Amino acid sequence: MTGFSAETLTLPTVALATLLPFAAFVVILLFTRSRPRLSAAVAVGVSSVSLAGTLVLLTLHWNMEKPVQHTARWLVSGTIEIGMGYLLDPVSLLMLAVVAAVSFLIQVYSLGYMAGDPGFSRYFAFMSLFVWAMFNLVVSPTMFQLYIFWELVGLSSYLLIGFWYEKLMASQAGKKAFVMTRLGDAAMFLGILLVLLHLGNLDILEMDSPKAAASMSPELLTLSALLIFGGIVGKSAQFPLLTWLPDAMQGPTPVSALLHSSTMVAAGIYLYERLYPFFLFSRTAMTVGLAVGTVSMLLASTMAMVNRDIKQIWAYSTISQLGFMLMGLDAGSLFSGAFHLTTHAAFKALLFLCSGVFIHRYATNDIFELGRQGCRSLKIPMACLIIAAGALSGLPLLSGFFSKEVILGSLAELSNPLWLGAGLLGVFLTSYYAFRLVFILLFPGESGPGHGEAPEASAPSHGSAHSRFHEWILDGPLIVLAGVTLLLGLFQVPLEQFLRGGEISGLHWPDPLHHPVLPYVSVALAALGLGLSWVEFGRRGAPRVGFVERLPGLFRLFSQRWYLDHVYGFLVDRGIDRGISRLLYLNDHKVIDGFVDGTAESTAAGGRITAFLHTGMIQYRLLTTFAVVVFLALYFFL
Amino acid sequence: MIVPFSHILLLAGVLFSLGMFCALARRNLIMIVLGIEIMLNGASIAFVGSALHWQQLEGQAFVLFILAVAAAEVSLGLAILLHAFRRTGSFDPEAYNSLK
Repeated sequence: MTGFSAETLTLPTVALATLLPFAAFVVILLFTRSRPRLSAAVAVGVSSVSLAGTLVLLTLHWNMEKPVQHTARWLVSGTIEIGMGYLLDPVSLLMLAVVAAVSFLIQVYSLGYMAGDPGFSRYFAFMSLFVWAMFNLVVSPTMFQLYIFWELVGLSSYLLIGFWYEKLMASQAGKKAFVMTRLGDAAMFLGILLVLLHLGNLDILEMDSPKAAASMSPELLTLSALLIFGGIVGKSAQFPLLTWLPDAMQGPTPVSALLHSSTMVAAGIYLYERLYPFFLFSRTAMTVGLAVGTVSMLLASTMAMVNRDIKQIWAYSTISQLGFMLMGLDAGSLFSGAFHLTTHAAFKALLFLCSGVFIHRYATNDIFELGRQGCRSLKIPMACLIIAAGALSGLPLLSGFFSKEVILGSLAELSNPLWLGAGLLGVFLTSYYAFRLVFILLFPGESGPGHGEAPEASAPSHGSAHSRFHEWILDGPLIVLAGVTLLLGLFQVPLEQFLRGGEISGLHWPDPLHHPVLPYVSVALAALGLGLSWVEFGRRGAPRVGFVERLPGLFRLFSQRWYLDHVYGFLVDRGIDRGISRLLYLNDHKVIDGFVDGTAESTAAGGRITAFLHTGMIQYRLLTTFAVVVFLALYFFL
Repeated sequence: MIVPFSHILLLAGVLFSLGMFCALARRNLIMIVLGIEIMLNGASIAFVGSALHWQQLEGQAFVLFILAVAAAEVSLGLAILLHAFRRTGSFDPEAYNSLK
């Protein structure tokens, strides 16, 4: 079979896999809007084609030695040439596989979850839009293309969060998400501009090569790295731009599973991996990244410990785990971040999908309500939830355990033990809040915090017409993801070899066996967290009040998201609304309008004044004559 | 010259502007004619002074011409004024604004 080599197959495969979802989006929006089943078929069909394409690419390029790139001319201006195309190396192939697989499973799941919703076709159109944007973001060879699709991903996030737009909270959450990530993107754009100015183009491979370090001074490298990191902070919901993600849970659960846990918010981490050698040029930026990741991780864990809304707990968990990935990356190990991103995508999506089954069935998000209504009778989702929660906490032999060990191992390589301590504290807190949720769901006691304000369900209840097909559509993806969660840990070594194969220069791969005691310490901490939550929530006659809730000041601090939203509200209200907006409004009214209106008015007044010269009185005419003669005399004789 | 030339010119200028003011700012037609007369006198003073300054007699001769012309003009002007008064019944220039 001549012609079926890697070189000839790559271009059409990539083109097909990455561009078909856009065709699906257009087709659904234009033609099949009124036929929901056809729209769903189009979207899921395209998604499976993309998945197949991605797997083909993986097998073709499993042993690649150097990255494969193909660009077409797009932007040419003087000496600057920026192209659009694709860049395949181990990092991007891995991310492509993750995105394709997770999005396929979630779209299948959505067939059951969103059935009966009036916006069914629109949902699948936007999902296809998102998948298209995400694919092209992953394979982009230049920062330019990456930025375009970064924004498109943000757009599809906005569209999907505010999917049930009749609900005010949903559309406000979409707006908040978009504006907050926009702040980060503005910083990223400035960073990109800096690089363009000094390097001459935005090729990612060039940015990663020593050429970049040669053409930019260290301060400039740090500055542009920090600015680009600002975009990552916004997109991946790190401190301080993290409050949009819990609010984004207003969207349908599959959206939360796909966008806001495994793929879109991971795009920030992916960008970090992409520009890893570039970030390595600046130690300051890496330290800042380490600090930001640590703070986000710990902050979000504390917020998750006191929350009652099942989706918000997992949202905080996502922020926390992304911070953990950042910690691993900034500690100097590319593999730690990439591996944890992969395992996290699997178990976090699984967590959200299981929660979605519960929400769909019982029409409430509150964990106490769900427990009371007997959600443990749904065996498969409950079992998958426990498996995923175990992976999240890092219990042995689940995939999360392996990826956490790599991160903790790279943190231990750092000279300052503070980071490792923070990481271990994070392990404890993660295990605590994850199993707090599990135990509340499993063992609904009659005692516990009162009915209080149960958070509103984020999905309108779809009644309980559940056919067998329906249940299998919902449970099938859960089982697949649970299998992945259980087995992915075994693939650590092949994955590491795969990532090492590509030419990602300037990295050092830490030796994993430097700290033999570390796995035991982290497992012990995870078990401690599990035990504490068991004592407080799980066992018979448990008080069902967390240790944080006993300290009302701390409880208030955590549940108010450390007052971050208050700070933002204050800043927006005082700084922007009453400050800048007011100044601009005054400028518009007094200065600009005043100038224009004033010119008009003074002209009219001047006209009125000089009009009296035309009233016909002789003396005014005489006056005019004399004035003219005097001025002429002055002009000619002086 | 006992009196400096600039003083004479200044006097002539002041007299001329006083005449101009009288012609422009008075609400009586006769006062307009009066103002014109004063302006003519101012010009005459300028002529006499220049004649003395440049030691030429033509200046003084010209003043005689000015006086003659002024007389003729006044008679004509007053005749017109009388006629105008008979037409409109008012000496106020405001009444003569039909050409606005």
